[in-house]
Amino acid sequence: MRLLVFPASVLLIYGILLVMMPDRALLAIRSSGKLFLIILMPLSLVFILMVILNLFLKPTHIAQCLGKGAGIKGIILSATAGVISMGPIYAWYPMLKTLQEKGVDSSLIAVFLGNRAVKPFLLPIMISYFGWTYVLILVVFTILGSIGVGYCVDVLVKEKPSNYIK
Amino acid sequence: MKIAIPADKPDLEAKVGTRLGTSQYLVVVDLKTMAFEAVTSPAASGQSISGIEVVVLAISKKVNAVLTGYCSPTAEKYLSASGIEVLTGVSGTVSEVVEQYKKGDLLKDMGVERESESRRSKIDGPALFHALKTSFNQFVNLLPILVGVFLLIGLFNALVSKELISSLFFGNRALDTLLGACFGTLFAGNPINSYIIGGELLEYGVSLLAVTAFIIAWVTVGLVQLPAEISALGFRFALVRNAASFLMSIVIAFTTVGVLNFIKGLFF
Repeated sequence: MRLLVFPASVLLIYGILLVMMPDRALLAIRSSGKLFLIILMPLSLVFILMVILNLFLKPTHIAQCLGKGAGIKGIILSATAGVISMGPIYAWYPMLKTLQEKGVDSSLIAVFLGNRAVKPFLLPIMISYFGWTYVLILVVFTILGSIGVGYCVDVLVKEKPSNYIK
Repeated sequence: MKIAIPADKPDLEAKVGTRLGTSQYLVVVDLKTMAFEAVTSPAASGQSISGIEVVVLAISKKVNAVLTGYCSPTAEKYLSASGIEVLTGVSGTVSEVVEQYKKGDLLKDMGVERESESRRSKIDGPALFHALKTSFNQFVNLLPILVGVFLLIGLFNALVSKELISSLFFGNRALDTLLGACFGTLFAGNPINSYIIGGELLEYGVSLLAVTAFIIAWVTVGLVQLPAEISALGFRFALVRNAASFLMSIVIAFTTVGVLNFIKGLFF
């Protein structure tokens, strides 16, 4: 129900516009429709990728990856867990909290959260807008950036920095 | 072969726990050597825990089967998906249950045939159906906001001139990137929306630097979810992580666009 508030509000604006400026409203509808048609194909690919990920990856695999190992291995596993994780971030907080309480390094949790920006199943949409080259470079720098954020967390959050990057 | 049994005490004479998620210990027994390890369950902390934490514990111990009084359907689903056999309705002491399992009595009582590992790992109909159902639900959850974004962009295209949008940005690379990161910080939600909005901003003449900072900050920095992050992971962690991610979104924007321009200069 909460999810419908935003589209319903936009539809309300359309309703008002249709009464006050019908030509502009039609122009807006046409523009939205055109945008939808452009994105339809990549969106279908998104659904297929979602099915594949849901078929082969389970939340338990991600929990197993996150926080396992130390040093570079820990970073790679946490980054992988972030990349393959799906769903809203709120759903992950309870598990992250438990892992933090179990002693998983805060820096690795930061790496996990940073890598949630890399979404394999959404890549078709991103590529359709920005092209292969840009997306590839962005993905690489996002992963490297998340490691940088993890380092900041390691130095600034923990009283005694760990062997995060040695 | 290893089996895990929830128990109230850390030994073989302990009673089998009625529920996987509430027992104090998880006794892991190697059926070959009969060596056992009693692991303190996350439930022992006295805090309310989700079944998934015990599931993770069982998987991390590489057990082949879990024998318990009761197992929630969700926990059972994840255990089964990881190739772990789940037998419920089990009672008695840990050693009694282990003996019954070894003789195959438990399986006989339940009329269950033991599945082979290879059979479990295959993609079967129910697994595909479950994946389709989960994906469909995720997709349906994504659609209302996505449709809203489409409609809003349509409105923008019809009502707002490109000049107006461009005028919101300063035309200065550093300031525009900062502004892009600020916009990304204010908004939250599925990254797909940030790609669509970012793509449209490019059409409006906004720089790729600003759009990149916007896309990265959209997911990695979150003012809206900051209270939830503070509550789950602590004030200092949330503050440092979000501040560092904000700065990093700007760094990522500059490096990405810099490398992209370099590659374009080389090949195009």
